[in-house]
Amino acid sequence: MHLTEEERQILDGAFGEPQRIALNVLIKLGDAYGAERMVEIASAHIVGSSYQIAGEAGIEIYGKLVEQGAKVKVRTTCDPGSIDFSRWQIFKTPPDYAERQIKIAELLGQMGVIPTWTCTPYTAFNVPRYGEDLGWSESSAVIFANSVIGARTNRLAAYVDVCAALVGRVPRFGLHLPECRRGQVLFELASELSDNFEDHFFPVLGYFVGQKAGDRIPVINGLQKATLDQLKAFGAAAAASGSVALYHMVGITPEARTLDEAFGGRQLGDRTVVGRSEIDNTLEQMNTGGPGAVDIVGLGCPHASIDQMRRYAALLKGKYVHPSTELWICANTVVEDMARQMGYIETIELAGAKLMVGTCHNDCPLGAWNFRRLATDSGKFAYYTPTTVGTKCIFTSTEACIEAAITGRIGSA
Amino acid sequence: MNSPHAILQGKACAPGHFEGEAVVSNQPFGFWQGLDPLTGIVIDQRHELYGTSLKRKAFFFPYGRGSTGTPGIFLEAVRNACAPAAIVNTKSEPMIVMCSLLAEAFFKVLIPIVDGLEGDPKSLLRTGDWVRIDGTTGIIDVISRS
Repeated sequence: MHLTEEERQILDGAFGEPQRIALNVLIKLGDAYGAERMVEIASAHIVGSSYQIAGEAGIEIYGKLVEQGAKVKVRTTCDPGSIDFSRWQIFKTPPDYAERQIKIAELLGQMGVIPTWTCTPYTAFNVPRYGEDLGWSESSAVIFANSVIGARTNRLAAYVDVCAALVGRVPRFGLHLPECRRGQVLFELASELSDNFEDHFFPVLGYFVGQKAGDRIPVINGLQKATLDQLKAFGAAAAASGSVALYHMVGITPEARTLDEAFGGRQLGDRTVVGRSEIDNTLEQMNTGGPGAVDIVGLGCPHASIDQMRRYAALLKGKYVHPSTELWICANTVVEDMARQMGYIETIELAGAKLMVGTCHNDCPLGAWNFRRLATDSGKFAYYTPTTVGTKCIFTSTEACIEAAITGRIGSA
Repeated sequence: MNSPHAILQGKACAPGHFEGEAVVSNQPFGFWQGLDPLTGIVIDQRHELYGTSLKRKAFFFPYGRGSTGTPGIFLEAVRNACAPAAIVNTKSEPMIVMCSLLAEAFFKVLIPIVDGLEGDPKSLLRTGDWVRIDGTTGIIDVISRS
């Protein structure tokens, strides 16, 4: 790999041990994937911020880096932690567990990481620009930055993202190269579906596309419009059920003004027609639990936007969550602050729902709750919670989720 | 499958040597939510290896279902000496390669990775076979069959 003078100096240890170790990892990664050089990044977003992911190994690694004077070189934000820092007691987090998460927070803070604790850093703290190179992990944020904004990042991993932050660089391969961003596989919506595309079909379509596309770049043709929240929900599901890091939606995302542009003039790849039956079959797969009582309802995966908070508040106004059901809404601190000022949180809490800030159902230890059946409007939750929380999952629309929280049961899945 | 000895040539992805027992699956695997890093046992109930220990084994599987949290779990397992000691894939995704790079950088442990295996892992060998893996040449020596 071609290295600049500065990069050679980093490898010689001129900028300290953390940068030397970090660049070494990134160069080896680049060598494994044929990168010719490194590229400077505008920002990093790191995923090893939760104790659930980082564990004691993370505390050891971060502790050592801090001891050696590690500081991030570019704007660096972090993913949710494994506790709600101001309310972990009400979520029954064991105190010794909370203490380990707080230790991670201290170490990241000492390295200069901005304590965002969110999977949606683009809502306020870390807003990428079109064409910018980034060093991000967190699959749902990577797919959003690449697809919706047109920034460029591979799916980095825990610790590799920290390496990128410490040297402000990543190896230039994969999605950093324009020729590697072109569509590879086509999903065409049948008109019966595109004419009646409901809000909660976005994560279902994402789940379907992710399973089919795997790690290829899907192009979705036939959707007429989509909100940011719908694109977020679609991408999070596709990144969970597959390992999709970039998608193109024709006429909607910036690198796909036309079908031809989405494929970069290349021949169209495999073509899959998506109709109502594909949506119904995927819905069935996402539902591991049938009708009946629900003891936990999870909203805000990825973290809720202020628009979503408004919607939840409107649906909960004057209603009460069923006494044997929990409704938890996950968000970041900036959205929390706005929602509080706008009165949404008062409405939500008066209804008996809980706001969960800086973490989520999937990142927290929930053993003490013995949840058995979760309802959610998130394709990512639907994919992960059967293992993370150990529950049966009922995926449905936001409205039906809130209705389930109020009645304590789900009618039909 | 019948000949007791076989040499498989894969593509070298991460250096290191290993000799020992293989655990083999035809299903993709995700370490995050798939492996208990305190024991090395597979905890994904949807996976055919549910309940099997990967500790210090050569783990053969087609490809990783890579959550970006993968190295978190993997390095925790390395730290506890419960990680697989070698990985062989049909196609290694970047997450798996990153796990090995990070184990070397932060724990000085070499975990050889070889990919480009031709055919399903189970058509080439099975759990319990004794293998020798060279992560620098990509050569997998099947020494004895279980």
